[in-house]
Amino acid sequence: MLRLFLKLPIAIAGAVLFLLMVLTFCDVILRSAFNAPIEAATELTKLGVALVVFAALPAISYRGDHIAVDLLDPLFKNPFVQRLRDGLIAIACGVMLIWPTQYVQVLAERARGFGDRTEYLEIPQFIVGYFIFAMCCLTIAALILKGVLLLVAPRFVEDVA
Amino acid sequence: MTEGLIGFAAVLALVLIRVPIAFAMGLVGMVGYMIETSFRGAVSMGARLIIDTAQDYGLSVVPLFILMGLFVNKGGISRELYAASNAFLGHLRGGLAIATIVACGGFAAISGSSLATAATMSKVAMPEMRRYGYSDSLATAAIASGGTLGILIPPSVILVIYGLLTETSIGKLFVAGIIPGFLGILFYIFAVQLTVRRNPAAGPAGERTAWPQRLAALRGVWAVLLLFALVIGGLYGALDIWPIYLSFSPTEAAGMGAAGAFLITLFRRRLTWSGTAEVLGETAITTASLFSVLIGAWIFSNFVNIAGLPEALLAMVSENDLSPWTVMFIILGIYIALGCVFESLSMLLLTVPIFFPLVTSLGFDPIWFGIVVVVVTEISLITPPVGLNVFILKGVVKDVSTATIFRGVTPFWLMDIVRLALLLAIPALALFLPGRM
Amino acid sequence: QEKTLTISTWLPPSHSINVDMFEGLIDMMEEATDGQVTAEIKSGLAPPPAQMDLVMDGAADISIIFHGYQPGRFVGTKLIELPGYEGNAEAASVAYWRVHEAMLAELDEHRGVKLIGLSTHGPGQIHSNQSVTTLADLDGLKTRLGGGVAGDVGAAVGLIGINVPAPKVYETLDSGAADAVAMNVGERLGFKLTEVAENLYVMPGGLYRGSFAVLMSQETFDSLSDEQKAALDAEVFGEPFSRLMGAAWDKSDADAYAATEAAEGNTITEASAADQEAFATVAADVRAKVLAEIADAGIDAQAAYDMVVSEMAKESGGS
Ligand code: NA
Ligand code: NA
Repeated sequence: MLRLFLKLPIAIAGAVLFLLMVLTFCDVILRSAFNAPIEAATELTKLGVALVVFAALPAISYRGDHIAVDLLDPLFKNPFVQRLRDGLIAIACGVMLIWPTQYVQVLAERARGFGDRTEYLEIPQFIVGYFIFAMCCLTIAALILKGVLLLVAPRFVEDVA
Repeated sequence: MTEGLIGFAAVLALVLIRVPIAFAMGLVGMVGYMIETSFRGAVSMGARLIIDTAQDYGLSVVPLFILMGLFVNKGGISRELYAASNAFLGHLRGGLAIATIVACGGFAAISGSSLATAATMSKVAMPEMRRYGYSDSLATAAIASGGTLGILIPPSVILVIYGLLTETSIGKLFVAGIIPGFLGILFYIFAVQLTVRRNPAAGPAGERTAWPQRLAALRGVWAVLLLFALVIGGLYGALDIWPIYLSFSPTEAAGMGAAGAFLITLFRRRLTWSGTAEVLGETAITTASLFSVLIGAWIFSNFVNIAGLPEALLAMVSENDLSPWTVMFIILGIYIALGCVFESLSMLLLTVPIFFPLVTSLGFDPIWFGIVVVVVTEISLITPPVGLNVFILKGVVKDVSTATIFRGVTPFWLMDIVRLALLLAIPALALFLPGRM
Repeated sequence: QEKTLTISTWLPPSHSINVDMFEGLIDMMEEATDGQVTAEIKSGLAPPPAQMDLVMDGAADISIIFHGYQPGRFVGTKLIELPGYEGNAEAASVAYWRVHEAMLAELDEHRGVKLIGLSTHGPGQIHSNQSVTTLADLDGLKTRLGGGVAGDVGAAVGLIGINVPAPKVYETLDSGAADAVAMNVGERLGFKLTEVAENLYVMPGGLYRGSFAVLMSQETFDSLSDEQKAALDAEVFGEPFSRLMGAAWDKSDADAYAATEAAEGNTITEASAADQEAFATVAADVRAKVLAEIADAGIDAQAAYDMVVSEMAKESGGS
């Protein structure tokens, strides 16, 4: 179950990336050879990249794929101390994400109130906002779950990751 | 000014206890912004940047270049590049190390990252050099240093991010990296020569390859040349192939490069379904972690900005009547010092918002400064105690100590400093090509 | 009490919005309050569509927005973007503020913030890297267009839209990925169009105009003393500041015309009488469509349009 939660979103993100690559290719060729660019290409690219980033975010947060500096790692040789540190940091990261995430929802709701839409496809902006909100919520959950597991049930973390 | 410096120190402290860079910068940035404005203002700013950064069209260039590099790698190009440079150079004294440098330069022309370049080449070149009895310190140092070329020779993720941070033309930055990148190859070859002259046993000559085999080995290289020509030619607006005139924005160049790499790898029958899925998944993961760092960095830079740090630096320079070059040397000193500890991307993100306004107001060229920053960033990748490229080598070749690698890197590091000095003395090395665009 | 406000800007440092309009605003505020209320300009805090949120939540005190960057949010503001008005940016900006006070304010499109100025840049024209001398040349031209009315007019005259953010205009034209850009003439300087779009095709009155609003955080305004509020409302905010912005746009247009005439290889072609007449028909269609949109939002669009025309005539005749 957890494994599916980690793999499926990344598979979706990968598929979207592939489509973005195809879209750019077609846009350039159509523009250069037939003077007929895909007008919505820019907009689709923006939405596609947002989809990739936020689809993958909860999974990479759980897996610990965030960029970090391991300069002082030699000081944390004791595996217990290491686990304690990583667990606390994961929980802290999850908690500090709560406030901006709440505000992502406020902004999405505001965009709905103003009737904001994307330029070419006229997609309501609040849908994008709510997608980002949902994925940030999952990220918070993933970080806190990972932290708690590291602290109380480390064996379980190692089993899935 | 004080708030800004405290914030800077706080980020450093958090990063050192292993808080992910994205969260360290985001947290300090938000708290600082809150002190300068209000809780609601800070949280709203952070939330807006979470929403907007991922939808920044300029940034879409990042995942597409990563994708291109990974596709090409799947196609086994690194192995062929090495085989080709080895066929021509392997028989020289230190020849395998020289071939490694040249192959790194070739791989840099299709990969946007130094770490990827070093990691890829280490798997190919290290076993070969060991087979011919190269000393561990020369072999690992050649790969670690050659790998740094990945962010200078275009395409380069670091140059893309510099361009986006400073609103400088990414196309011009790429083209500006070409000559300094070639210089880097030459200087590193010279460093290999220095090493084997002092200790001939470090790099014995390999076998001479006959001309027919040399030409055969070259056949593996066409894909690299083709992709480099496509990406850089398109950015340069030089692909006027009747009846089509191909000309790209950076994002389009990255998309075309990725599509080209995909087609070439497919054409060579090196692509399986699972291999494709692997490449796409890895790109998605890298993209999400890079974007997280960018969001954190933007939040932090807003705090530094609103706390007035750039203005305070500028005031300090004018009060003390410092000459532009004095300031430039101080900045470079700070970069080299930070480079001891920091990883390339975080160093760039932390410093550019602070130094860029200062440097341009002193009359330095933004493109030239971008190249200088990348060169000092390259140096940081092989400067102890934290040199990421060195650690990558250490990860692949577990039985070599970090100290051994750093010892081997010393002549390469010195050559980097010489190259930096040249770049400072002759800005045209960077500015000549973009000036002709 | 003394107060230093934060002005958030997303435009390059040398842009007229920063050096003339915001610096002008700071001077006006200082003068009206005996130096008690001043401001400093911070750039790059967030992308353009985020500016209204920044101000609404107090992340910045003052900012400028371009209405076209937020499709769906603003409808009434399209009124001033219509082609065919006669008069410069100053006359148009003053008329814009007056019509807003009289009619557009009802739509409450800037809710949540305090509106302190409205303006439109000078007439939008076509800047191209290939020769454009007739209206027919526009057909099939790959052009970077702004949103809103500019997009409607572009489609009507056959332009092919290339969608890139403003800072990328130079390299898009330079690389040849686009043939042209639709902008007000003043932008020729900031975007260095004299280098990459040598040919300027001028339609008197413009193909469109572009609508801007300057916003202030309501909370920030409320935190000022009653005298400061009264002085700013009477002497700075509203028509006086809108007029200053319009005049700054006119100055940037004049500077850019002079620079274009002086620049080697640059050409300025004014539309022929026949093309002006042909475009008037196109403009009338776009106008009918946009006025219908505004009427749907709930105000007497035709009356508002007529008021812009008459106020602009008053301003142009009076000066
Ligand atoms: Na590269
Ligand atoms: Na280092």
